[in-house]
Amino acid sequence: MADAESRRTPPGGRRIWPLLALPGTIWIAVLFIAPLYVVVAILFGGVDPILRQPVPVWNPLDWDFTQLAYVWDHIVGPQPFFRPALVRTVVYVSVASLLCLVIAYPVAYFTARFAGRWKGVLLAALIAPFWISYMMRMLAWVNLLQTDGLVNKALSAGGLFDVHVAWLQGHASTVILGLAYGYVPYMILPLYAGLDRAPAAMLEAARDLGASRFETFRRVTWPLTRTAVVVSLLVTSLPMLGDYFTVDLLSGSPSNSMIGNLINNSVLTPGQTGQAGAFVLIILIVSVIPMSLYVKSTRSGTDIAT
Amino acid sequence: MPAFGRRAGRRTVMKGALAAGLSAPALSAFLTACGTKETSSTAVKIPSPTSPVTWPLSEANPAIAAGQTPKAGTTLRIYNYADYLSPRVMKDFEAKYDVDIRLSTFNDADEALTKVASKELKFDLYFPSYDSLGKLVQADLLRPLTRDYLTNYDNLWASFHDPWYDRGARYSVPYTIYSTGIGWRTDMVPTDVAAMDNPYDVLWDTAYAGKNAILDDWHTAMSMVLLRNGIQDINSTSSKDLDLIRTQLLDLRKTMRPKVTISMYTEMPAGQYGLSQMWSGDAINTPYYLPKGVSPDVMRYWFPPSGRGEIDNDLVVVLAQGQNPVAAHFFMNEILDNKIAGQNFGFTGYQPPLKKFTPDTLVADGYMPENLATAVVRESDFKDGYPLLQLPPETDTAWHQVWQEFKAGG
Repeated sequence: MADAESRRTPPGGRRIWPLLALPGTIWIAVLFIAPLYVVVAILFGGVDPILRQPVPVWNPLDWDFTQLAYVWDHIVGPQPFFRPALVRTVVYVSVASLLCLVIAYPVAYFTARFAGRWKGVLLAALIAPFWISYMMRMLAWVNLLQTDGLVNKALSAGGLFDVHVAWLQGHASTVILGLAYGYVPYMILPLYAGLDRAPAAMLEAARDLGASRFETFRRVTWPLTRTAVVVSLLVTSLPMLGDYFTVDLLSGSPSNSMIGNLINNSVLTPGQTGQAGAFVLIILIVSVIPMSLYVKSTRSGTDIAT
Repeated sequence: MPAFGRRAGRRTVMKGALAAGLSAPALSAFLTACGTKETSSTAVKIPSPTSPVTWPLSEANPAIAAGQTPKAGTTLRIYNYADYLSPRVMKDFEAKYDVDIRLSTFNDADEALTKVASKELKFDLYFPSYDSLGKLVQADLLRPLTRDYLTNYDNLWASFHDPWYDRGARYSVPYTIYSTGIGWRTDMVPTDVAAMDNPYDVLWDTAYAGKNAILDDWHTAMSMVLLRNGIQDINSTSSKDLDLIRTQLLDLRKTMRPKVTISMYTEMPAGQYGLSQMWSGDAINTPYYLPKGVSPDVMRYWFPPSGRGEIDNDLVVVLAQGQNPVAAHFFMNEILDNKIAGQNFGFTGYQPPLKKFTPDTLVADGYMPENLATAVVRESDFKDGYPLLQLPPETDTAWHQVWQEFKAGG
């Protein structure tokens, strides 16, 4: 047994993998840990008395917790004016992500299972929105959704009805639809990858054994693609958590502020930059929980497969 | 407090908090106990019409020598609001001096100050309002002006030759003048706002909920609440006044769901809403953005006829971080030229305080339509009106916290 293992491992094999991982580790250290430390140093740092700009403090022994305490107080304290934006973010992101899933799953399913020779063309079409910047796509919606824009004109059916819906005036539905529209391509690709890998033979076997189309989907297709669904939900919901310009462009009303807007406002307000760091930490913690669950679920999936 | 003492204190508090199980209130108490904010307080000079300031000349950033010309092929970096400088003026300057202009834009003064303070962006010219000037000078971010380059300086109104915020005009040149009032579209807002007993009340009129906007500028928006309540000190340090601002702003957010933006000059003509707090220059600009088929006559602007409203002017300053101060001085002088200032006024809608632009003839000269004549700013408005001033640091922090609460959404 030991001989067999040593035969499979090339000379120096135990060292080669850590060595290969080294550039990636350095990359993560430089591009994740270092910036995160800067954020923390600003969060726990001071403020320049004239311009009210942040003064990072690098030594943890000198850290000042005032900014974090301020944010925390206004989330859980007697005047929790940050809390609604956090709750709103969770609601908006959850609804938009589910909406993305409802739209993306059938599209990815069709592309993976039935597109045949058009698969490549369809995939290119699905990726096409990535070629245009997110900002430009949102600006296009601003034009369409204006009170005298095309959407209201279409709804008025050529003047039959008097439609003056102010879509851009602080409607949660507009923001959620905007988020779903903006991020749905991010969901289609991982779903497609998952569905494309699902073995057709298993689906055929289920049908041969008498399962209906719905039963086949429920008992075979869905379990096989569950990991892809989790990945795609993570891929879309994580950037949505930090999004602020969808609200800025499609609403502009504080009534729709999300945590991304709190961060943006804090960063751009002298004296409050450290608070942005507190919000960043909140997002980080909230993101780490589902990521850990995902890693745990994929690990158990691998164990089962093994 | 010695550093060691502070560290030891934290350990003790940390143990206590851990013992308490770090529940939310316990964590809050823990963090508060750890708060040892020690920003050294510096005496900040705050200019006002009753307390003019002559700023000392910077030693670190000396004025440039006279008699130079811009080097061909160099870049002039300008930092300004969007649509606040005519592209034609910039293009003509580029052609005249063989200089490449790079324009970067900001949305509000806070954002601008944050980026200028980083010193990394190497802007040559910056267009602040005068309530930022003191901070910029005291943070040594400006280069004193060399007046020999500003041959058009005499074109300015006499009252701007030696302004209270910068005696001797050592660091700044006035750029535009404007009032802050209310703009509306008569085809969307049937109320005659100007005829109301208190026109500011229209922004709280629920008949227009979801169809209105206020300026995304903390001080401008918050001082409007004070003016609505007849309080003339729009730079109040009173906590009672701040409570009033907070209450009425939160009420505005709850009942009116206003858009908070600085793009009303495009959004109101596009029909997104019909009522807005507005700068006079933006009001003048609105007719150009109206869609085809909508008459410019629908636009209206109100500012207290007594002149007792918010009145301000913006400036141009040379940043010490810039690499092209000579071209910056030339550009400053260029926009004080009557013809070029006229071109710029035609594009931005913001009135330059130059003698050539007589307020009584601006409508006749075609700079603005008659229905927006209320947007004209007169020299006397600066005697009767109320300027936004730099606030003392503690007041500034308190005002910003209220604005933060307003923008957080509730």
